Amino acid sequence: MTGGVLFHEQTARQRLDAITDQGSFVEFLPPPERLTSPYLAQLGIPVSLDDGVVIGRARIDGKKVYLAAQVGQFVGGAVGEIHGAKLTGLFKAASRDGVPCVVIVESGGVRLHEGSAGEIAIAETMRAIFECRARKVPTIAVIGTDIGAYGGMGILSTCCDFRVMTEHGRLGISGPIVIEKWMGKKAYDSSNRALVWKTSGGKTKYLLGDADALVHDAAGAVREAIGKLLTRSSPVTLKNAKARQKDLEKRLKRFGKTADPDDLWKSLGVRDIARASLASGPEFVTLARAGRK
Amino acid sequence: MEKFAKAFPSRSLRVKTSKPWALAGVVGSGNLEVLLERGGRQSDAMECHVETSIPGYKASWLAALADFARNYPAGGTKVTINDQGAPPVLVNLRLRQAYDHLTKGGK
Repeated sequence: MTGGVLFHEQTARQRLDAITDQGSFVEFLPPPERLTSPYLAQLGIPVSLDDGVVIGRARIDGKKVYLAAQVGQFVGGAVGEIHGAKLTGLFKAASRDGVPCVVIVESGGVRLHEGSAGEIAIAETMRAIFECRARKVPTIAVIGTDIGAYGGMGILSTCCDFRVMTEHGRLGISGPIVIEKWMGKKAYDSSNRALVWKTSGGKTKYLLGDADALVHDAAGAVREAIGKLLTRSSPVTLKNAKARQKDLEKRLKRFGKTADPDDLWKSLGVRDIARASLASGPEFVTLARAGRK
Repeated sequence: MEKFAKAFPSRSLRVKTSKPWALAGVVGSGNLEVLLERGGRQSDAMECHVETSIPGYKASWLAALADFARNYPAGGTKVTINDQGAPPVLVNLRLRQAYDHLTKGGK
């Protein structure tokens, strides 16, 4: 364990400062611009001056990057029209300028108060991400916060070239409570934290290959992982898409009926479940690698 | 929702940092965000704009803001508050945090 504040405990602006070169972060459309949600105001819900997302530019190890960080405490980090437009603009700028783009995800997806405007905003951001990828501009999603990445933001995260996760982060489409409501408590108990983390948490996502790096819950570790990925990109080609589809079909066949996530861990090479459960991100990576040999 | 604005007499902000604004807190349940900016209309008053989800507490708000303007030299600043039901003690804490960030740096 390293000392200091954990990544998931930091605020969005603290995270951005902590993962970039000191003093290099410059915010775009900062709070004094007062770009607030017109929908929330109409509904009599308090607005926020940044609409729940901080965007800007900075340097990591001297390299130029564009960054976004969602503010999970404001309506669950949910994406409204303004929030989504800020993300879309950032990725569009990244593609235009050839500057890598990093998004620190902390969101349950679309802001339901804004309905279609939020849905469209997320779809437009995804399109901008694919514009980046077509131009080989690296896009990275960082998932390591309390809320995690669910709904439209879960999908958006998987549209990026790479995902950096901490053992604290979770990635999925439907959130745990939604699954429980649909499938029943017997099928999925959302109050069972071990179950929730073993199905959508960073460790499982790393084993499955959905997360490209699993790091300690600290800004320094997140920054190091981003630094390694900034010069790489993963091309979107028909061949790659078809191969990915095959992989997912295989995964469904192999694990579609698996009721206990421990069985999934075991068949992916984790020998000591108890030890792996308590391990930190990097320790888990070591255990998983040893098991694969 | 309740919305109001008022300026409170305050000694002029003396510190000269290049920082034009500072933000403290977040709009979440029982919490609020405070944006403190340089460049208020009068150099001898703290100009306040409040929007709160809980109506009916204007007197408490005005008292808390007047208190802060009296205790801190904040003349020439503009305060913008978006509130989701924060208690007065938290309002005071966020004002002080924003003030510290503006005058000393940090986030």
